[in-house]
Amino acid sequence: MSQQQPENNNEELRVGVYVCHCGTNIAGVIDPKEVVEFAKGLPDVVHATDTLYACADSGQKQIKEDIKKHKLNRVIVSACSVRMHEATFRGAVSEAGINPFLMEMANIREQCTWAHGHDREGALEKAKDLTASAVAKSRFLTSLDMIEVPVTQKAMVIGAGVAGISAALDLADQGIQTILVEKEPTIGGVMAQLNKTFPTMDCSI
Amino acid sequence: MVDAARHPRIDVRTFTEVEKVEGFVGNFKVTLREKAKYVIADRCNGCGDCARVCPIEVPNYFDMNLAPRKAAYVPMSQSVPLVYNIDLDACIHCYKCVDACGALEAIDFSQEDKLVEEDIGAMIVATGFSHFDPSVMEEYGYSRYPNVITSMEMERLNNSAGPTAGNLIRPSDNKNPQKLAFINCVGSRDKRYNPSCSNFCCMYSIKNAILLKQMNPNVDITIYYIDIRTPSKGYEEFYDRAREMGIHFSQGRPSLITEDPETHNLFVHSEDVTLGKVMEKEYDMVMLNQAAVPQPDQNHMSSVLNVAQSPGGWFMEYHPKLRPIDSPTDGVFFAGACQGPKDIPSSVAQGSAASSRASRILQSDHWEIEPTVAVVFPERCSATTRGRACGICAKACPYGAINIFSPEIPAEVVTAKCHGCGACVAECPEDAITQLHFTDAQILAQMRAVLADKPEEKILAFRCHWCSYGGADLAGTSHFEYTANERGLRVMCSARMDTDFIYEAYRLGAGAVLYSGCHPQDCHYITGQLIGAKRASRLEKIFERMKMTDGRFRVEWISAAEGDKYARVLNEMQAVLDDIPMDDLKAEIEQLKPEMSKRLKKFPGVPGVQEAMDYSDILVDAITKQKEAA
Repeated sequence: MSQQQPENNNEELRVGVYVCHCGTNIAGVIDPKEVVEFAKGLPDVVHATDTLYACADSGQKQIKEDIKKHKLNRVIVSACSVRMHEATFRGAVSEAGINPFLMEMANIREQCTWAHGHDREGALEKAKDLTASAVAKSRFLTSLDMIEVPVTQKAMVIGAGVAGISAALDLADQGIQTILVEKEPTIGGVMAQLNKTFPTMDCSI
Repeated sequence: MVDAARHPRIDVRTFTEVEKVEGFVGNFKVTLREKAKYVIADRCNGCGDCARVCPIEVPNYFDMNLAPRKAAYVPMSQSVPLVYNIDLDACIHCYKCVDACGALEAIDFSQEDKLVEEDIGAMIVATGFSHFDPSVMEEYGYSRYPNVITSMEMERLNNSAGPTAGNLIRPSDNKNPQKLAFINCVGSRDKRYNPSCSNFCCMYSIKNAILLKQMNPNVDITIYYIDIRTPSKGYEEFYDRAREMGIHFSQGRPSLITEDPETHNLFVHSEDVTLGKVMEKEYDMVMLNQAAVPQPDQNHMSSVLNVAQSPGGWFMEYHPKLRPIDSPTDGVFFAGACQGPKDIPSSVAQGSAASSRASRILQSDHWEIEPTVAVVFPERCSATTRGRACGICAKACPYGAINIFSPEIPAEVVTAKCHGCGACVAECPEDAITQLHFTDAQILAQMRAVLADKPEEKILAFRCHWCSYGGADLAGTSHFEYTANERGLRVMCSARMDTDFIYEAYRLGAGAVLYSGCHPQDCHYITGQLIGAKRASRLEKIFERMKMTDGRFRVEWISAAEGDKYARVLNEMQAVLDDIPMDDLKAEIEQLKPEMSKRLKKFPGVPGVQEAMDYSDILVDAITKQKEAA
């Protein structure tokens, strides 16, 4: 990998902000349109809109079209957790020609509306702040390339009970060399100790 | 079992344990300990002559210690591979086995444990489960009353390959029992031991009852249960079949078992909740369906394999719904009950699923990993500025990914070895290293944004990606409500939480700051949490000396499974802020600002930071205007 650069602020920024309703998961607690209006006034934001389901095909299509139409070079998705859909939106923006690392998410579902249902006003303020925080970070984001690492095409399965044996057989049948490790002197695990097993009532070995 | 042993691409290593795992996805190096069998596997033909002449008998774990084995042994006659072991702890060195083995010369007392290194690309963890020991439940008399046994013991007694060749007898008098009871949920769904359900025991006791009834239709069997759970295909029908065969079901967990000391018959005391009646019934034998519990060495394996554990001790999956097979470590997957109790069909299915997840990686000769790695600014490194590299970064790195070749040459990050924890970045006294995608400028800009408006009311929460961010997600998913004044900031590891960020948060007027990451044994970056924890306790002392109100800076280790804890900690922090009169809080913030500024003297000089500050001024203006307009 060539040395990637941490800062690169020379281009003119064009930020697009998408505030997801997630059906009623977000919109049941706050009004996403208020977050949109707020985001419109933030520096470098040239386009902001709400979307019913950002992760749905229609939501992603909208983002991809807007990237072209508004010449966006940063995309903010205020929706769910990065653990849920970061890969989805990285994929969407890169299909539209933007480096996936120029997309930033604000978690306004798991860490906002779902946790603050009792305090709608507080949740709305927080959703605005988290969106602003993502916009702020995007000002300093840079294009990055994934790092390729070589793969040793060999597997290890630790534990040779019924699950481990099943995994090892499937790997081996796919042509993968597999080491099956068992701490006891025989494979089989608990299964081998059982008499007949349900629901077929046949031998377990 | 036999299929696995004879598959040309499966290399079975029994009597072998995992000692150490190093490396990363596609490139793991695993050290295995091949324990000495004192038998040369290639020479042993499994004839068993050694066992026949061996004079020593010890209990056989495989038969739940109900039957003996020799010191020269296989656990069962169908062992795979059929290679004998000599148990040196029991052996008296009479060497009769050596004579019996004769010309094969398979026995070798000079063998020692061997450490073997293996390079692999992906790993499936299928270490299984263990059984709850019911002797701690005094009310059931297990280990006091001979005829109270566990269902696993019954499995062996009822097994044609078991110690009684399948003849189920009472331990007290070797007679065949005619009246039997099974008790479900022994140690499970019981807040004293394990609150969770063990998943398979309902079907397991029904299976055993049906088997006994098939062998002898005259036996009288009662299953004591809390609920019968039959959620999978064909299970309810199986339960129906048991009832049609005349097996009795009694709802309610028995409170006590007593024994007639003469006959050793047992009395089960219970309340049948469907009948609303307190009962005391006599049985010849009682079987306890023990809870499934994590393996005794699960904690140890958790740290060897670097995978986290859920509250019950089971290995924790990356995401309970979306990535139930993946561990949080790329390239490590789970199969079977090590991740939570599972029956055979689910374990087999998860084994297949795990193989498919692993082969995504293994079918290709390369794999992509995140580029969120550390990068050195050579011109700032002390090697350049003072002619002597200090080496603090290399010492902090959990992976040995930083090279310092000579004091005059700036530190160098080996990208392929860097896992992106950010420890070196936060530790570098010269601010000469940054982390891609988590630069100081990016994090500062985020902090400024969330603290733009009424910062004194806000709780700035730094969370590591793998654990506390996951814990915050789980708090939301579980709808555990907590204060909406929390403003979260995500970095990859608590090791990245720079002291500058914390000082800057207070300088910006934050009401409180949470410094949170994983528990030490769960760290995704080996020792990252230790570095974060050390720094956090240093900060605690500094703030104590500054006489900051107790609780305005809080350090907590919260796992991805501890959503409840995340919510509780935030609510407690809110309570701390609520207890300080607003004027006092503002006064304290103002009073401490110069202290913070003093410690931040070098911060504006960090690459990108001045620019982030200039930008943030504009941003804060915009945020304030927008909020006023709303």
